[in-house]
Amino acid sequence: MTGATTVRRPPDASVPSLARSAVEAALIGLVCAAVGLVVNGIRPTGLPLVAAEPYQTLVPCPEPGGPVEAVEAGDPVVAGPRTFLVDARSPEAFARSHLPGAVNLPYDWLDPVPESRLHELATAIASSRSTTVVVYGDGGRPDSGEHLGREISGRGIKNVHFVAGGAPALLTGEEP
Amino acid sequence: MTRRSAAAWLAVPVRWYLGVLFIGACLHKIADPRAFAVDIATYDILPLAFVNLTAIALPWIELVAGAMLVVGFRVRAGALLIAGMMAVFLAALAIALARDLDMSCGCFASQGAESDPISRLTVLRDLVWLALTTLVLRCDRGRFGIDGWLDRRSS
Repeated sequence: MTGATTVRRPPDASVPSLARSAVEAALIGLVCAAVGLVVNGIRPTGLPLVAAEPYQTLVPCPEPGGPVEAVEAGDPVVAGPRTFLVDARSPEAFARSHLPGAVNLPYDWLDPVPESRLHELATAIASSRSTTVVVYGDGGRPDSGEHLGREISGRGIKNVHFVAGGAPALLTGEEP
Repeated sequence: MTRRSAAAWLAVPVRWYLGVLFIGACLHKIADPRAFAVDIATYDILPLAFVNLTAIALPWIELVAGAMLVVGFRVRAGALLIAGMMAVFLAALAIALARDLDMSCGCFASQGAESDPISRLTVLRDLVWLALTTLVLRCDRGRFGIDGWLDRRSS
């Protein structure tokens, strides 16, 4: 009976085994860590081994922003028959003056718009059969209208625009 | 030239590349361990008690492991150290990405999230480096290095 012969490659004597290398790696790692600790101890600007207080790390949360398109105050889309207008200013500014038909949804720079308000807005837009949403804000830099527009767009409402220059560009007597 | 021999030759420039890469990566961390500690803390994975210790020790391990690959001394041990660090970095990056953290990886300099944000490309880059490290680990035969020179002297 003939059997297939397999030829095992002889291990390369010049290459240390993985286990031996792992032990070496662990020892080298420990020595390096010890060197680091010694150098840190010698340095005048060395770190304490344990931080006394948590580090102040600034990791901004991702903003749910969507695409928005800027339109000028005189753009026909602002006064279009199928445009849904949203006023991003405070209720006081909205009470003072606003575009006819506009809905007030004040933009808060610190808190996202509540889901319930966005749901109400989406329902109102759908029932109005509007095809375009135009948001205007205080016209400042940054502009609350642009940011509210991004937030609305980021929650799945399509075809959102903001008025460049905001309320001051649209309404008389308003200043940024 | 056999495949084995070709891979051994290929491992030499890869070994040098990885060595220089790790030496380059550790310099800013050794120079400014406080900034590196902030980078580590930003990942929000390690308990506070281990943040400074890691910031103090890790760059020296990077430096020595990188130097071992460059000069070809105890190459397998150096490659194992680098593979271990790459695995840890990859896990940290994956966790940060899963948490949607908008931050810099802190790999080469303490940059802001705007100039060097982590992304899937960062993970891909580290995976490539891990694959290259595996190549060195499996195929390097000490050519152009102290290991090879010591072998020739002893034989």
